[in-house]
Amino acid sequence: MLTPTAPLAVAIFLATVALVIAKPWRLTEAIAALLGAGAMVVAGLVSPGAAASDVYGHWNVLLFFLGLTGAAAVAERSGLFDALAGTSAKLSAGSPRRLLVAVVVAGAIVAALLSNDAAALVLTPVVYVLVARFGLSPLPYVLACTFVADAASIALPVSNPVNVIVTDRLGVSAASLVPVLLSAAVASVVALLGCLFVIYRRQLPARAPVVPRSNSWASWTAVPRRLLVAFGVSIVAFAVASAADLPLGPTMAAVWLLLLGAEWTSSHFGRPLEGVGWSLLVFVASMSVLVDGLSSAGITAWLAQQILGQVRDSPAAVMVVTAFASAVGANLVNNLPAAFVFADAVHGAGLSAASAHAAAVGTIIGADLGPNLTPVGSVATLLWFVLLRQRGLEVSTWSYIRIGLIVTPVTILAALGVALLIGVPR
Amino acid sequence: MSETRRFLVALAGTEDPALAELVARAVGAGGVAIPGADGVASPGGAAAIPSTPAVELTLLHVEESGPRELAAYQPAVRRGPWPLPKRAELEHRLADADDEGAAAILAIWHERFEAALPGAQIEHLVACGLPEREIVAAAARLDPVALILSPRPRTGPTEPGPRSVGHVARFVLDHSPVPVLLIRRG
Repeated sequence: MLTPTAPLAVAIFLATVALVIAKPWRLTEAIAALLGAGAMVVAGLVSPGAAASDVYGHWNVLLFFLGLTGAAAVAERSGLFDALAGTSAKLSAGSPRRLLVAVVVAGAIVAALLSNDAAALVLTPVVYVLVARFGLSPLPYVLACTFVADAASIALPVSNPVNVIVTDRLGVSAASLVPVLLSAAVASVVALLGCLFVIYRRQLPARAPVVPRSNSWASWTAVPRRLLVAFGVSIVAFAVASAADLPLGPTMAAVWLLLLGAEWTSSHFGRPLEGVGWSLLVFVASMSVLVDGLSSAGITAWLAQQILGQVRDSPAAVMVVTAFASAVGANLVNNLPAAFVFADAVHGAGLSAASAHAAAVGTIIGADLGPNLTPVGSVATLLWFVLLRQRGLEVSTWSYIRIGLIVTPVTILAALGVALLIGVPR
Repeated sequence: MSETRRFLVALAGTEDPALAELVARAVGAGGVAIPGADGVASPGGAAAIPSTPAVELTLLHVEESGPRELAAYQPAVRRGPWPLPKRAELEHRLADADDEGAAAILAIWHERFEAALPGAQIEHLVACGLPEREIVAAAARLDPVALILSPRPRTGPTEPGPRSVGHVARFVLDHSPVPVLLIRRG
């Protein structure tokens, strides 16, 4: 039931999301979210004690992000991404089409192992530099990085912050999701590649105008051997921990410490805390308080009733409905807030185990792939174009937007189709 | 009369390595009819030009600003509160890569044109922005005898109507302040 405070809770939540997206007055996302969480407490929608237990209740997620951002920073410092890009360049043998496949595969691997954001943030500039050296237009490759980061991020429960939040909140065993998610990820990445080839069939020449010498690319020998071993050990450790259903947060933090140790002993050591996403931690903690405010006001339960009311007993229908609803939500309020709201709604809906499992898969697919509708996130894209105009730069708006409009539905349908085939008991 | 005739060669999307040969045939001795520098069309083609005039080629390469903006800006917006690379540093890295690619492309074309048009004076020009606008702007600034354009070959038979060339060539054909020489092999 909606409580009388519901309108206030919704207003605070939406105002916060607006601040997070628009970032006025040089506000960061973390500060904006913190202000929103503070407003929830000041307005009496969440008691200070409840806010503290919200944050504490997300210890697993927070620890995971601490370890993840730290591990991604170690990977970047180690030259791993440059080596990966260098291998892609060599494998392409000067063929722009093969280069696109190599970039997509490299992006998919990074996204699956180190999260979508790390893949997009770190790999995009590396790939841009590589493509520019071939004398090719970077646009298809930049968009490929952006899109594959999300398309492949449904692969594992750890590949996207959304996945961690959803599995943590719904209490679904991470290991039990892997077969479904991994297959769905392969389907969405293949669908993405197909889309890119159809869209750019004319822009990708048969040969790159310039073919740099193959020894001019970064190679794996530049990455300290100990770190390579540590990365390998980390992947195995993570697989074992997931199979044993150990909590993801401590595992990720342990992996980070292992990588730092390897970095230390290979005399590659920079500043260990550089690159750790403190603001992400503040953002996630604040978001948990904000969503508690919505939850206490009865909004997430109302949302669950609206979305799942008719279909709650059919896992297949639950999966489809949650996927589309969370895709829409991710485009309206960004993916992390949408994932928080949906996870809470589904959690409180008291679904059967099979339906909860299906809801987890559906929410992950929708909230991971949905934001691809536009290259920089729906609302943010509009702001981006305004900003470009202010800077006197002209870019062709339509050439960016149309790609996402094609890629997003196709990848969601591909992933959902595969997930329905193998992930729903019948 | 032997005056230098300047041509602007827009390299955006140009792939055909034989372009240099084709340009040489068009602008060198025995070339096609091109309005002279004095603005009077010479219907007799090469016959109207008494001696082989000196040719000056300006090779124009346009770095597209859109993808660079996207690569530098997208993370900051889309990727929310992730630890972000410094924007200025990132833009610098991307611009450097673009310059390296531009230099490599221009060096390759320079060689081809030098071989096809011995003695021609060849200059390089790098612009950054929307290719179609930069090409038109460069034509207006340099005021060449002609702007030479070799749009990307389209697969299959050439479509009739407005889609017979891509949007860059279409814009340039519509807005060029100087005559456009469109070179394309059938």
